Amino acid sequence: MQQLNPSEISEIIRQRIEKLDISSQAQNEGTIVSVGDGIVRIHGLAEARYGEMIEFPGGIQGMALNLERDSVGVVVLGEYEGLSEGQTARCTGRILEVPIGRELLGRVVDALGNPIDGKGSIDAELTTPIEKVAPGVIARQHVDQPVQIGLKCIDSMVPIGRGQRELIIGDRQIGKTAIGIDAIINQKDSGIVCVYVAVGQKMSTIAGVVRTFEEHGVLDNTIIVAASASDPAPLQFIAPFAGCGMGEYFRDRGEDALIIYDDLTKHAWAYRQISLLLRRPPGREAYPGDIFYLHSRLLERAARVNAEYVEKFTNGEVKGKTGSLTALPIVETQAGDISAFIPTNVISITDGQIFLETDRFNAGLRPAMSPGTSVSRVGGDAQVPFMKRISGGIKLALAQYRELAAFSQFASDLDEVTRRQLEHGQRITELMKQKQYSPLSVAEMGVSLYAANEGFLTDVAVDKVLDFEDALLAYMNAEEAEFMQRINESGEHNDEIVAHLRAAIEKFKATGAY
Amino acid sequence: MAELATLARPYANAVFGTAKSSGDGLDRWSRMLGLLAATVAEDAVRRVIESPAVSAEAKAFRLCELGGDELNERARNFVGLLAANHRLGLLPEIVRQFEALKDLEEEILDVEIVSAFDLDDSDVQGLKDRLTKRFQREVVITSDVDAALIGGVVIRAGDTVIDGSVRGRLDRLTEALKQS
Repeated sequence: MQQLNPSEISEIIRQRIEKLDISSQAQNEGTIVSVGDGIVRIHGLAEARYGEMIEFPGGIQGMALNLERDSVGVVVLGEYEGLSEGQTARCTGRILEVPIGRELLGRVVDALGNPIDGKGSIDAELTTPIEKVAPGVIARQHVDQPVQIGLKCIDSMVPIGRGQRELIIGDRQIGKTAIGIDAIINQKDSGIVCVYVAVGQKMSTIAGVVRTFEEHGVLDNTIIVAASASDPAPLQFIAPFAGCGMGEYFRDRGEDALIIYDDLTKHAWAYRQISLLLRRPPGREAYPGDIFYLHSRLLERAARVNAEYVEKFTNGEVKGKTGSLTALPIVETQAGDISAFIPTNVISITDGQIFLETDRFNAGLRPAMSPGTSVSRVGGDAQVPFMKRISGGIKLALAQYRELAAFSQFASDLDEVTRRQLEHGQRITELMKQKQYSPLSVAEMGVSLYAANEGFLTDVAVDKVLDFEDALLAYMNAEEAEFMQRINESGEHNDEIVAHLRAAIEKFKATGAY
Repeated sequence: MAELATLARPYANAVFGTAKSSGDGLDRWSRMLGLLAATVAEDAVRRVIESPAVSAEAKAFRLCELGGDELNERARNFVGLLAANHRLGLLPEIVRQFEALKDLEEEILDVEIVSAFDLDDSDVQGLKDRLTKRFQREVVITSDVDAALIGGVVIRAGDTVIDGSVRGRLDRLTEALKQS
């Protein structure tokens, strides 16, 4: 970087000073009467509003959450150790806001939008309040465009659409974040902007995730909002709302965005901590009474908005385009108990869930998605016709396989039909395995599943199925590159395409190169 | 522990109501309450009030004795009531709230003006007129001088603060430049 010379520096400073408005205005002030546990009680501040930013000496900020008759309860967004009784606190007149815009892409920010990746300041022009009302019924449009996650098991059996909320739920260390990361990696060229919100996680984990994005070339398409485990609870509480505001920027301008909340369990813990310290009455599992509303209002903001809404929002600049914000919230369960408080809450809010099971994970089936209990309430509407037709039989085949699985011990004594069903199920289960950071395109997934459905795998040993798939895809990408690209671009399904596909696979099998 | 203000409020409201309806007048009660609060603040008196060994009646009696002829019948009753409820320590807060209610009633606003240099009378009158217009109440000004402000004035009216001092502007400039 070139060295600035002294006159340039003073010129920059002078410009900044001229842009500033430091005229005196009437402000509301109050006195701190108690400080502790990140909560400050202030006497005075008669005109404080709910959720307003309060300024403390030293530039520390807080958020007014308890408006009582004789005092205001403020949660401190940052280090509260420097505050003491008797200091003055000031209303800012602004409800808590975060910066938004394209300038945030490729950056790692904290819950207030301040950069923490050491790459310099972010000169965002726009800000938005963190609490906003979700789009109304009239402004919405039906979800029928797909978000390709790149994972066979998800895109075939629980397809996700743009504007949908799909919960990823499972025990610890089971691959929940891995699904989120794979989803983001697959959005490299899809035109979907990604936001990854890390709540209450280890800083080392967050650093690893950023590194992964960088390695796979998707960091420039992603905003990362990090409120790590060492950040105060108020910042962890705000982070998902801040990320949502950043994602809504794209939604409201006719673009598509994907947001991953990792994870909402820790978000609920942070909110519980704040509520208990503010002396709000505890309810079930000591969570406050409005813990459902906390997540429902966050997830309702993930939606698909129609073109009229976008046109109105952009004052006619963007016409004829719908916008969407797709949410993939993550919830951690304890010992697979999805009937606990927070899991049931979030399951009832979202449009489906991807349920990951420890048994499947330990048996080597990764992603450990359970096809029986995982659901997407948008379903086939969010699949391109090609995928929809080809993956139609997968879920059924696996369901039938599960029913017969108990009989697999008597394999030699069974009738032909049952045995074939078992073997087919085993091969499909094996095919659903996929390595991390290896997303597949629509065409590749389609080819794989078509081969499985049409019986091309019956003569392949179960433990060789994945090798067969690798070889088949390599062949298709080399010899039939044009065909594959055509499928990826159009997504259509007709007899001609199916015939071409069948012929290609038969040709591959004839070569015997697997 | 509940806020002192919350505990004192019912008493202040009751006293205010009595003062208005009884014909004693707000000023009279203001004086009596002021006297009681000042008495209670004295070390020796405070020790007696806080002592669990002395009975409520005794505390009330002592306090009324100290108040002397200044306190009328109703004021004595009030002291007895506070003593019986163990709320004598709230007197300073009760007085504060009573004065606030009185100001509201008489439409007076207490404004504190701190300036860097002495203000002359025309300046003070000018400020008074503008403030009266802004707050729609009669303004009573207390002024003070603080050289640390460098220039300009800081006006405090209740919770609202208008910081027009040079020091305030420099502070805001510092904060803004540090943030960007």
